[in-house]
Amino acid sequence: MQILSPYDETLDRQGRLKSPWSPVLSAVREMGMIELERRCAALGRQVGLAAPALLPAARPYDPLPALLTASEFAWLEEAVSQRAELLSQVMEDLYGPQSLMRLGRLPPALVLADPFFLRALHTGGPLPAPRLGLYAADVIRGTDGRFKLLRDHTGTIPGLGHALTLRRLANGVLPELFRAGALRSLRPAREILVDQLQRRAEGGLVAVLSGGAAAPGLPNGDDALLARALGVLMIEPADLATRNGALHMKTLSGLLHVATLVRGLSGIDLDPLEQGGRPGAGIPGAFGAVRAGVLNMLNAPGSKLLESQVLHPYLQELFEPLLGAPHKMQQAEPEDVALASQAPFLAPDGVLTKAPLCFRIFSWHDGLQWQVLPGGLGLAMDAQAGLGLKDLWVFDGEESRMISGAPPAEPPEKVKFLAAAHLPSRLADNLFWLGRSVERLEAAARLLMLALPRLESGTSLPRDMAERGLISRCLGQAGLLPADVAGSALSGRLLRQTLARRRPLAGLVKEVARLVDASSERLSPSMLATVRLALQQANEALPNEEAALPVMLNFAASFAGIAAENMSRDGGWLFLEMGRRLERAETMAETLAILLDGPIPRLEPGLALGIELADSVLSYELRHAGIIAPGPVLAMLLADGSNPRALAFQCNALRACLERLGADDDAETARLLQHELADLAGGGAALSATLSAMAAKLRTLSDRVQRRFFTLLPAAHTLEDEEILEAAQ
Amino acid sequence: MTLYRLNHATAYDYAEPVVIGTHFMHLLPRSRPGQIIREARLEISPLPDNRRDEIDHFGNFTTSVSLTGAHKQFNVTLSATIEVEQPLPPAHTPRWEAIAAWALHEVEVAEFCLPSDLARPVGEIADYAAVSFRPGRDMLEAVLELNQRIFNEMTYKPGVTNNFTTALQILRTRTGVCQDYAHFMLACLRALGLPGRYVSGYLRTLPPPGQEKRRGADQSHAWIGVWLGPEIGWVDFDPTNNLLVSNEHVTLAWGRDFNDVSPLRGVILGGGRHSLSVGVDLEPVLT
Repeated sequence: MQILSPYDETLDRQGRLKSPWSPVLSAVREMGMIELERRCAALGRQVGLAAPALLPAARPYDPLPALLTASEFAWLEEAVSQRAELLSQVMEDLYGPQSLMRLGRLPPALVLADPFFLRALHTGGPLPAPRLGLYAADVIRGTDGRFKLLRDHTGTIPGLGHALTLRRLANGVLPELFRAGALRSLRPAREILVDQLQRRAEGGLVAVLSGGAAAPGLPNGDDALLARALGVLMIEPADLATRNGALHMKTLSGLLHVATLVRGLSGIDLDPLEQGGRPGAGIPGAFGAVRAGVLNMLNAPGSKLLESQVLHPYLQELFEPLLGAPHKMQQAEPEDVALASQAPFLAPDGVLTKAPLCFRIFSWHDGLQWQVLPGGLGLAMDAQAGLGLKDLWVFDGEESRMISGAPPAEPPEKVKFLAAAHLPSRLADNLFWLGRSVERLEAAARLLMLALPRLESGTSLPRDMAERGLISRCLGQAGLLPADVAGSALSGRLLRQTLARRRPLAGLVKEVARLVDASSERLSPSMLATVRLALQQANEALPNEEAALPVMLNFAASFAGIAAENMSRDGGWLFLEMGRRLERAETMAETLAILLDGPIPRLEPGLALGIELADSVLSYELRHAGIIAPGPVLAMLLADGSNPRALAFQCNALRACLERLGADDDAETARLLQHELADLAGGGAALSATLSAMAAKLRTLSDRVQRRFFTLLPAAHTLEDEEILEAAQ
Repeated sequence: MTLYRLNHATAYDYAEPVVIGTHFMHLLPRSRPGQIIREARLEISPLPDNRRDEIDHFGNFTTSVSLTGAHKQFNVTLSATIEVEQPLPPAHTPRWEAIAAWALHEVEVAEFCLPSDLARPVGEIADYAAVSFRPGRDMLEAVLELNQRIFNEMTYKPGVTNNFTTALQILRTRTGVCQDYAHFMLACLRALGLPGRYVSGYLRTLPPPGQEKRRGADQSHAWIGVWLGPEIGWVDFDPTNNLLVSNEHVTLAWGRDFNDVSPLRGVILGGGRHSLSVGVDLEPVLT
């Protein structure tokens, strides 16, 4: 009896190292395991930067590729296209005339019981575009070295983003490995796909509809990588609105027609209008748009039906009748799965190990035929083993034809420029609030730094008492102390205890972190890395909020610096800037209204606090020799256009942003505020009341900005047909 | 043969203007053996910017509309002339086991044997149904008995159930309206692997002379269809009124349960609170 053992990916039948493997493995030997581990971590970081929305897992990527020779790939190319074509025909039939079920070739009860058979998409005939546009096959090698089909991916296509991206990133991190020989480039295939998508969209928008959570066995961020690789936007259901039966994206410049969506989201519950459910969770009207042909989804909703394991045995019997040829690839049997081929992986403990491998091969329909990506992914069969995802290499030529020389570097990516006008409203909204929340954190930290020592050490001298009173009102205004506590005559010690108990900074930091994640796709990789590092430091310092104050200021300074130096001044930056300026202006106006409340001669403590809070002590000293007098202080805090912490400076910055966004009426409001400030600094009466009124005007301006740019629409809700029934019965 | 004139008006009044409304309706009656639609019109006001009339998976008519002008009223009015002549089923039908065996292999029938969200059979429902479906019994005879039992054992009471009430809940409470009677009877049939479908429609407003007024007249009504084998096809039963459906019912649409044929779904922006009025009138014009 012959004892079967798994096929070894690296060895030939005689037990010799296969030629493509020898340069790869010798490069690994030269590098050493420690260096390989470092490179592996670097690769993880690189991908993390390319798909910044999500935090990288422990070790998501394996540095060693999976390899296919030209002849192996040629065989797979044929087998995978054949499979894709069969599935496509079966899909068109099940959602079309259903003749396969009528003829008894597919059991109706199996198809119709499947939750992924979406009746809403059963139109009886074809849609303008094929229902199956993208396909992936998971393939393993049996003991005899032949490829067998493990499973199909016909719904969402997990991993395509990684398959189009890993190579480019690995090339920079592991150049030594690429000396193994000439690889088939992914670029022509990708360009065919991009052209195909754009051509079919006929000028409408193409986007990746993000599914949020990662597919099993894959690191996060695949949707984001796919969107970047295709040069299109990644969007969420909330970015979309249905108008006149077609789908549109909400952008700063209004609604833009969306023609094609690469679907990362399940078709189940996709359309709350027809399927019921919360309107916010899906896209009301999406099914109708697909049926009418004004929206093309890759793949069409309901396509996951063909992944059904119970249909597999029947599908194998359909090759002859539908394609006129026998199936090229066998289905993997349980014994094949148990003895899948072994490939080298870098184990979590840093040594090379061999583990069963599954190849994921990607394919798409180009309008005439199925194209197969000359690459793909290698996945460990055991998702629990802690092994990473592999890039799949296809050699350009036979094993014997070794090509040495420069690594086949891929030319830089060609990514389409996305104009600011196409910025989804959701992102602008998030950036606006990110600007506000970072500023809010900074203002809170500044106020607390000013307040804490004074609360502790203040004497009962009238000046100190007055100062404490002002500070506690400011703390109340900023929401750092409850209003009743802030207004009471509690001792400084008690106020401090209340502050320590409420831990206001923790909440603010959390909000900043949430908005950084939500805005991450519009922050550059280095900016994001720096901001996340600073946030991490802030979080580590948080347990002792008082000691954390300088760290918070440090964070705010890093954020502001990197935004100023690393962000191009396009739509995204404008919203971040507006958020920051509005928040700072509002806070200043409110705080100064408290500090400058009273007759001019008694303003001295408030003026001094104001200068300190505005970080302007030094400039004031230099200009005015430290003598606190109302005139110069007011000029510096209110009207000085060159002081970045003066109110006028904020108004001027706001005006510039609003003008660039074409919001001329709001820009005019900001200009009028600037004028008002100049008058006020000149010694206008009723300082405090005027400043309070100014804060109110700024809040109105903020509301107007939000309405103008973000809330194109109120929230949707469902008209319950429940009531019809009640009324009827 | 009976010729009917049907009027079904649905009116929403919103407290605040609705900015955008999108609606998906099953409100145009379909044809079927024994029912001919002579004429049917679905009028919508305000006039939609976009309207699509389609045929769904079950062969029902659906209408999708979108309204982008601000509006405070939304009216949908169906008016139709319909000819009804339901043949009576033969006195003897196949054994119920034979029907269960056939049904799974028929594309048009198989899915009606399977559980659906609102008519999902469980063990207790199977026990309830088995009383009528003794081994080898004539299918029609058994279904008529089940129809009678449900009519006798359930209490008709509006306002205690809603569109999410399942057959299992009805088994417990034995109280509800036509929709609940239908879902419960469907779950009974499906528990035995028998095909049953949910039918939405209307019942003539005034009963034939000399008969008492039916439950569910003046309103949208619901009952069930049962497949009695390839020869006879579908025959309808109305458990709410203990009727074998003949010429008093007009079919609107059918599906696995209410969810497949919900008359009007909508997603609206704005609107605030709203009130709803529905009026149904089904009058024979010629008998």
